[in-house]
Amino acid sequence: MIKPEAVGLSLTLRPPYRPSTIAINRKSAVVVGVGLLAALGVVMYVVKLFSWGDRAEWAYPAAITLFVLSSVSAAPLVAFASRMARGYWGLPARRVVELFALPSMLLFALLIPILGSLPPFEQDGVTRANLWFGWGGGAPFLTDQLAVSVMLLAGGALMWFAAVPDLAGPPSRVRAMPAWKRLLFLNWTGTKRQWIVLRTSMRWISAFYLMMYVFVTMILTTDLGQSLLPGWRSGIFPAYHVITSFQGAIALIVITLFLLRRYAPSVGQFIGDEQAASLGKFLLALTLFWFYFFWSDFLLVWYARLPSEVAAVQTNVAVTYIVPFLIAMFGQFLIPFVTLIFNPIRRKLARLTAVSVVVLIGLLFDRIRLFVASMSSENPFSHGLAELPEPYYPNAIDILFMIGVVGMVAAIYLWVLTRIPTPGGWEMREGAMYRREQKYMHAEVLVLGKPD
Amino acid sequence: MSARDSDRKRELLGLYNEPDDAADAVSRLRGVGFGGNDIEIISATPYPEGAFGEQHAKHRLFAFPFAGAACGLAVAIAWHIGAQIALPIVTGGKPIVAVPAIIQVLYEGTMLGAVLFTVLGVLFESRLPDGIGVYDDRIADGLIGVSVMARERRIPDAQIALEEAGAVDVLSKDGSLMRPAAASP
Repeated sequence: MIKPEAVGLSLTLRPPYRPSTIAINRKSAVVVGVGLLAALGVVMYVVKLFSWGDRAEWAYPAAITLFVLSSVSAAPLVAFASRMARGYWGLPARRVVELFALPSMLLFALLIPILGSLPPFEQDGVTRANLWFGWGGGAPFLTDQLAVSVMLLAGGALMWFAAVPDLAGPPSRVRAMPAWKRLLFLNWTGTKRQWIVLRTSMRWISAFYLMMYVFVTMILTTDLGQSLLPGWRSGIFPAYHVITSFQGAIALIVITLFLLRRYAPSVGQFIGDEQAASLGKFLLALTLFWFYFFWSDFLLVWYARLPSEVAAVQTNVAVTYIVPFLIAMFGQFLIPFVTLIFNPIRRKLARLTAVSVVVLIGLLFDRIRLFVASMSSENPFSHGLAELPEPYYPNAIDILFMIGVVGMVAAIYLWVLTRIPTPGGWEMREGAMYRREQKYMHAEVLVLGKPD
Repeated sequence: MSARDSDRKRELLGLYNEPDDAADAVSRLRGVGFGGNDIEIISATPYPEGAFGEQHAKHRLFAFPFAGAACGLAVAIAWHIGAQIALPIVTGGKPIVAVPAIIQVLYEGTMLGAVLFTVLGVLFESRLPDGIGVYDDRIADGLIGVSVMARERRIPDAQIALEEAGAVDVLSKDGSLMRPAAASP
């Protein structure tokens, strides 16, 4: 039987277990390195701004932006899934994943120049494919950014509300706050009504986050992908993108949990094979979904053999970007599938982490093959590619930009770990209240209480 | 004591080590005639609804997302129809105001309204003041508080009920009501 970490079951309500923020040594080489990478990201972003309006220049930034959307921004949804399914395995991970709502705010800044580089819907009397029916009310820039803002607002609210009971402290502290700050801390005292309102709001906002995440994925993948590469027409592609995003998010969470277990004992003491076993199952299921969605998409084009669609598939799958596609296929499907079917790999956090690294690499190359091909496409106004384009290779600035974005995400995440107590104290205490290990005949079994 | 003074409500807060004692206090308070709305449970950890025999706590949070969604949808419709009517261009033979063409923005507007109003709803439901006047930091240390609003003349009944359930301490706005010998640490 895979057991929860014993320390998680032995938490007490009196004196109550209180999580702390993670103390990070700012002078350590890793933290300094992350800080430098983040600074590099800011510098590269500014440098890239000099290429404002040049769509191809923003091809690799678009790929890394959608990589962030597909991993960092999707991560908070795992907290939602774990709460909805009453999955106690997720207790130590919920706060860890909700904190990704903060680094995902980078999306807004990253998308400004990327969306700003998109061509108009109509040029010389010719209209390009788009989701917006040529609407001139600010699409796609305003509409996409509005949708991203709503998603980020929901993510930020979810992160904050879930953290309030741990951040607020004793009632006397809250009462001493100025009125605006007291309201920000939801005037927290811990009354029954406050707990109910908190839980209800978290359920609503999580659901809105999911709804917005799927919508944002649909419009961004269309505006930065399908609408720019002539002949690329797929109804299933946004769903493929969402599924692979969930896969990327799970991989990112596994890596984060592994690092926290190793380097942050205050969180790591609760993280173990129980989380690996559950996340491993998800990862395997999503790996199989990768094949299902890719194949469903590919087979239609292959069978119909419309020249424009075939050329698009040759561009981002079979010919022009075949190398990134193969890396993606191996990283997102073949390697994880062959490894995760074995319990000893799927149920051990360290081994699952190694597979997760491969998945994230695959995801990055998947986004490169998809969005570099479209963002660098020469004529989005034509109905099909007359001839296959040459691959658009990254220059040094593109590579540094992508590394810098990863650095910025890591730096913001590390910063928020030092500000918000992790894991979620009230949920951990509640979980300890509802879980007991008991003897059943000669076996030890886990008895779970699920109150609602 | 005037009739007005005896009708004024005061708050008492009993503190308990064990959830069972807190549940006992709620039951005793009900037994001496205190209604569900007069009793409030305060804890640092969320207990299941009804665990203490308390009445279901009412809130209006569910109304906010619907109201917000309706407002967001209305604004999005007005924005779209206004734009289409202000600049009526027939595209591809479709009507000037074609629903399939605007459905994404209607969705965005609806969701924006729903999310914003939900956040505002949470702030509203946490409004100041919240009716809890007496509090104690020992609740953050794991004790469970049972708060009761009682009329002046019923204060002794409430205090007895709270104490008999095994309260560690009983507090009013003026401080502890328990005699030092009676208050256990």
